[in-house]
Amino acid sequence: MTDTTSNTDTPRLQAERDAGGSIVDLSVTVNGTHHQVSVEARRPLSDVIREDIGLTGTHLGCEHGVCGACTVLIDGEPARSCLMLGAQAEGTEITTIEGLAGPDGELHPIQQAMMEAHGFQCAFCAPGFLMSAVALLDENPDPTTAEIREELSGNLCRCTGYQSIVAGVETAVRVMKESGK
Amino acid sequence: MSSTNRSGLVGQSVQRVEDDRLLRGNGQYIADLDPDNVVHAVFVRSPMPHAKINSIDASAARRAPGVVAVITGDDLKDTTHPFPPLLMLPGLYTPMYHALSADKVRLVGDPVAVVLAESRALAEDAIELVEVDYEPLEPVADIADALSPSSEPLWEKAGSNVVMDHTDTFGDIDAVFAGADRVITERFECQRQSNQPMETRGSLVMVDDDGHMTIHNATQSSHALRWLVAALTDKQSMGASLKAIAKNKDRRSSFASGMKSFLQSNSDDLKDQDNSGAAAQFKKDKSFLGAMNKIGVGLLAKESYPTVKAQDIGGGFGAKGSIAREDIAVAAAALSVGRPVKWIEDRIENLMDGGQAREESMTVSIAVDNDGTFRGLKVDMVMDQGAYPGFPVGAPMISKMIKVMFPGSYKWDAYEIRSRIVATNKGKYVAYRGPWANETWARERMIDVTAAALGISPAELRLKNMIGEDAMPTAMITGPTIDATMSTRKTLEHALTLVDMEQFEADRAEAAERGHCLGIGIASYHEAAPGPPNYWDSINPGSGMLMPEEGYTTIEADGSVVIYTSQMPHGQSHETTYAQVAADELGVALDDVKLVYGNTDKTSFSLIGTGGSRGGPIGGGVVRKTSREVRRQIAEKAADMLECAADDVEIIDGNIHVAGVPARGITFAEVAKQAADDGAKGDKYGTPFEYGTNYNGAGDGGWSTATQICVVDIDLGTGKVTFPRYLVVEDCGPIINPAIVNGQVRGGVAQGIGSVLYEQATYDEDANLQSATYMDYLLPTAMEIPEVEVHHLETHSEGFENDFRGVGEGGMIGAPAAVTNAIENALSDYNARVTTQYLPPTKILELAGQISPD
Amino acid sequence: MKAPPFIYHRPETLDEALALLTEHGDDAKVLAGGQSLIPLMGLRMGRPAHVVDIGRVPKLDAIHVDSDGAVTIGALVRHEQANKSPAIAEHAPLIAQTMPWVAHRAIRTRGTVVGSIAHADPAAEMPAVVLATQATMTATSTRGDRTIAANDFFEGYLDTALEADEILTSVTFPAWPANAVSAVTEVARRHGDYALVGFVGKLVVGDDNVITDAALAFLGAASTAVRVTAAEAVLQGAPANDESFAAAAEVVSAELEPPSDIHGSTAYRKHLAGTLTLRGLQSAANRIGASA
Ligand SMILES: Cc1cc2nc3c(=O)[nH]c(=O)nc-3n(C[C@H](O)[C@H](O)[C@H](O)COP(=O)(O)OP(=O)(O)OC[C@H]3O[C@@H](n4cnc5c(N)ncnc54)[C@H](O)[C@@H]3O)c2cc1C
Repeated sequence: MTDTTSNTDTPRLQAERDAGGSIVDLSVTVNGTHHQVSVEARRPLSDVIREDIGLTGTHLGCEHGVCGACTVLIDGEPARSCLMLGAQAEGTEITTIEGLAGPDGELHPIQQAMMEAHGFQCAFCAPGFLMSAVALLDENPDPTTAEIREELSGNLCRCTGYQSIVAGVETAVRVMKESGK
Repeated sequence: MSSTNRSGLVGQSVQRVEDDRLLRGNGQYIADLDPDNVVHAVFVRSPMPHAKINSIDASAARRAPGVVAVITGDDLKDTTHPFPPLLMLPGLYTPMYHALSADKVRLVGDPVAVVLAESRALAEDAIELVEVDYEPLEPVADIADALSPSSEPLWEKAGSNVVMDHTDTFGDIDAVFAGADRVITERFECQRQSNQPMETRGSLVMVDDDGHMTIHNATQSSHALRWLVAALTDKQSMGASLKAIAKNKDRRSSFASGMKSFLQSNSDDLKDQDNSGAAAQFKKDKSFLGAMNKIGVGLLAKESYPTVKAQDIGGGFGAKGSIAREDIAVAAAALSVGRPVKWIEDRIENLMDGGQAREESMTVSIAVDNDGTFRGLKVDMVMDQGAYPGFPVGAPMISKMIKVMFPGSYKWDAYEIRSRIVATNKGKYVAYRGPWANETWARERMIDVTAAALGISPAELRLKNMIGEDAMPTAMITGPTIDATMSTRKTLEHALTLVDMEQFEADRAEAAERGHCLGIGIASYHEAAPGPPNYWDSINPGSGMLMPEEGYTTIEADGSVVIYTSQMPHGQSHETTYAQVAADELGVALDDVKLVYGNTDKTSFSLIGTGGSRGGPIGGGVVRKTSREVRRQIAEKAADMLECAADDVEIIDGNIHVAGVPARGITFAEVAKQAADDGAKGDKYGTPFEYGTNYNGAGDGGWSTATQICVVDIDLGTGKVTFPRYLVVEDCGPIINPAIVNGQVRGGVAQGIGSVLYEQATYDEDANLQSATYMDYLLPTAMEIPEVEVHHLETHSEGFENDFRGVGEGGMIGAPAAVTNAIENALSDYNARVTTQYLPPTKILELAGQISPD
Repeated sequence: MKAPPFIYHRPETLDEALALLTEHGDDAKVLAGGQSLIPLMGLRMGRPAHVVDIGRVPKLDAIHVDSDGAVTIGALVRHEQANKSPAIAEHAPLIAQTMPWVAHRAIRTRGTVVGSIAHADPAAEMPAVVLATQATMTATSTRGDRTIAANDFFEGYLDTALEADEILTSVTFPAWPANAVSAVTEVARRHGDYALVGFVGKLVVGDDNVITDAALAFLGAASTAVRVTAAEAVLQGAPANDESFAAAAEVVSAELEPPSDIHGSTAYRKHLAGTLTLRGLQSAANRIGASA
């Protein structure tokens, strides 16, 4: 699937050139769909995903790498999309929260588990927690509570006190073990 | 009536209705909206804490690439009104100020201009080109500075930086203090904190071709925002306004009838009001009357009021209940450029002026007898409201809540509180989850100090003085009625049974051998959630009219259930809990209920929206009352159709039938269609069945209560504090959804732990902000916050059909007291006395005598 | 919080990258993992006119172990790659012990080991590891390669001996002695934050339990990472026991004068450095005899 956007002559990009900034042509695959966009070189990947590609499930909480809400998977590894230029993602495969559910809309076990565990409240932080949790479970399908807490400590939540989020990951571990996924 | 409540959803931890969209990344937060042709707003903010503005030159910025417009403070003076003084309390001066500062800046971050450009990045480039000539003034950095008569006043008309000084006395304070065995005094200081929702503030304003404005905003209070934007952005001449009013007969008569009904329904409250504050304000600053008049007439003349819309909101904790100066500036900018204007605050701005709270100093004296009987209580409080008061709720209103709640769940013979509010060159003070919480902190801390002085255990001293059921009904010394819902004593008694003190002492001895100190701390409290009818009057006479909230339950022609609420959910799961309540009342499934919120065209006016633990008792109460009435209407109609008595109608899983004969049932759609065919049409939404009510949540109590007990472990080598145990016994009456209640409690406790160990909005002695990033303002992570055991009591308020009580704030209110009490207890071998709320590792080791202060 | 505009370069070869740096000098910045440079630009504290993204330059992501056991880490080796590398676990155990302390995984997957050394944050772990192991930095420019010794590399806060036209292409850690043990420990306000003070220590202990070599390096304790040689001297020749460790800790506390900031006072950091020295040395000594 290709979703090509060609927008080199928007007022935004024209002004960017006047301001002395480079424009880069960027080709990335997000959740299995290929995208070709022209963006400012200074544009962080998070803004490219949200504004140029239009997937707003990835959130920006601090834009300096501390809160973790913008965490996505780049070629399967978790990364802060606010601390990467879009240009650095050239040629990569990116997974965002929108890419977790199956093609038929079936929730990923971590999504299902968070629902069962009442993991989140305002859920602004949820995209980052979900992507960090997926990365953790990919690498360590049977983490201890302490390992879950350590791995999730790169993501801030202001609503829950974390206990329900940790419980959600534990639920997902159980479900994934049972279903042999 | 209860025979139809078959679905039994209330009381179950049903899964959240919100989660399907939020967990898929399909939520819609303010930053996600991206209309065509949008321009991005970035504010030019003062780098100086306190300075006169001599001039602003924006010409270079206006020429910068991608810049659409630059609007300065002077420009806005022509197009907007200043924020009016809303709450004029006796002894208070309330300043007036514009959305952008034109003459003077009062904090680092004070907005002086706004740049609109094709991208946020280009706008950030251009703000660097706006040249502002500042003439520095002496900064006022803290309470001590502000109390000094020689400090440079932020508000000239206030005369000094003390903007309020008021004393309230209850009982014969002098006699009680003179008659007590001992008087113990201590001063407690709480550092400045910040609400810090994970989503910053933001607004997107669009003006359509007819001039109608739509504001998408992450607001806890959509109607207040709508009215304030309407009021402040309407700046035609008085003459033009009067002409418009004269021409518009409909508006005149609807205003007159609205006014009449307002006066009628609030006549008692209006009579009770104390107008001496307004008189004093007028003496100091006559201009407010003129501004209020212009605003009032302008509002009357206005063609259309903005529509405020909000969907998903990433937390607020009070900070998004304030109407921001930026909100007004963005609306004015959209009116002037004719393109959609989007402002998404960044985290630095949010840490500078997105809302700060809790900076209070409290000197507390307890008059007590040697047997531990509390006699009298005296408090001398100074609140630091920063540069601009939060609107509409800021330090003045909160000082009154502190006044009422400080005596807590204990019996006193007399009480006096002096409340001073000072202005300093720091971020604006807003309500933060349990805004009055420092009364609990200082009181519960003081009780431990007193217990130590008397040689009585903290638990025993509390039990000796805490009001129990045997004394009820009674009233707090400050006025509010106390009934059985003030169950603090039960929570304390229950919490004490959950702690094994022998085991704790053994653990403590074992820890000591490892160079660790264990301590245990208790905090007990009650909170108005929403409180009895006279709670608001005790805060400020006549303010009871703030309490009620209007909402509707409707059945549409296709049989679907739609609830309208003025609540503004931002994490509290209203879509789930309200559906639980309505589904039970109506006998339908959870999915059959839809909640409409966040759109001011569709919901009723509410000054508050979501805040003050109102969501359960008031908003939830409205849902229960209105659904119950709609169920009655349906039963009546169905009785006709089923040819039975209304009392014999049963509704189970949406099947309306004669009791015991479900096979011959009819559907909501059939009944709704019949009703519509017969001409049933509600006044407000035009649906076949609808009922709305204006409800104030009153029982005679309306209290939520809790006791928190925690055990801390302090590592003397590092000053790090951990929590081997944390437990909360809470009582918010009947629970709608236990998982949601637990989440509220735990989230509140986490913030309270943050308050003590991690969080400080730090300013240097010249009022420069030191904590402008998340590397320096520290929100605790999953590694710092322990598991919190939550135990529930469910005390009912007898005789009231609707008994839900709020639970959003309690966790936060109690935690700082429990944690600081535990820390002092842990360090008792070192004679530590904890008088500050903020205890970072350095302070811990200073208290433990391991290091001396630098 | 958006970066100022810049011209973006993505060289495909090292020569191309070096030519760009020669051409733009002080106006250019090397972009490696970006975990420090990008936030600094977002805060507009870094404003390079040219950004040279070395992310596509081939062969810089190698971890090489030479025949005598020295480990060379290339400029594009990510923290997480080092964290999981069997070669590093075997030949550079101190680096393996260090990696989990660096930030969080989602930052370690992007941030580079060498970038962290080039960035020279005094509160970062790798500069202290460089000092403790006496690693050698290889700086490359159009003028060729040169090596810089550990003790000459860190010149001040975020300041190193690198010239504007140089890329730090690799760092070489000398072969790890068979009988060496080590420990890394630190205290941060929150898990994963830059440390208030951190300890990186290495001991070489003879069969008679006598310490023959000690290296004690600290982060967060000065304007650069530092070694405390006076404390090392206390350990030199002393038995590896609690008494010696406590004596060394006392010297560390006395010697260091860490700056005070909003997260910790000087007195606190001195006390903490002592605690960490004692605990770190005890933890290292616990590894004596365990297979290295
Ligand atoms: C929230 C957060 C927490 C963090 N916590 C820690 C922590 O606890 N400990 C820690 O050590 N670090 C921490 N970091 C920083 C992180 O480890 C960085 O990755 C590291 O400091 C720099 O590596 P980089 O590859 O990302 O460098 P970049 O950000 O790409 O570059 C940093 C600087 O080094 C220069 N540079 C990079 N590589 C080279 C090279 N090969 N030659 C010449 N110059 C070069 C750049 O020009 C730039 O000036 C944290 C970062 C964040 C955002």
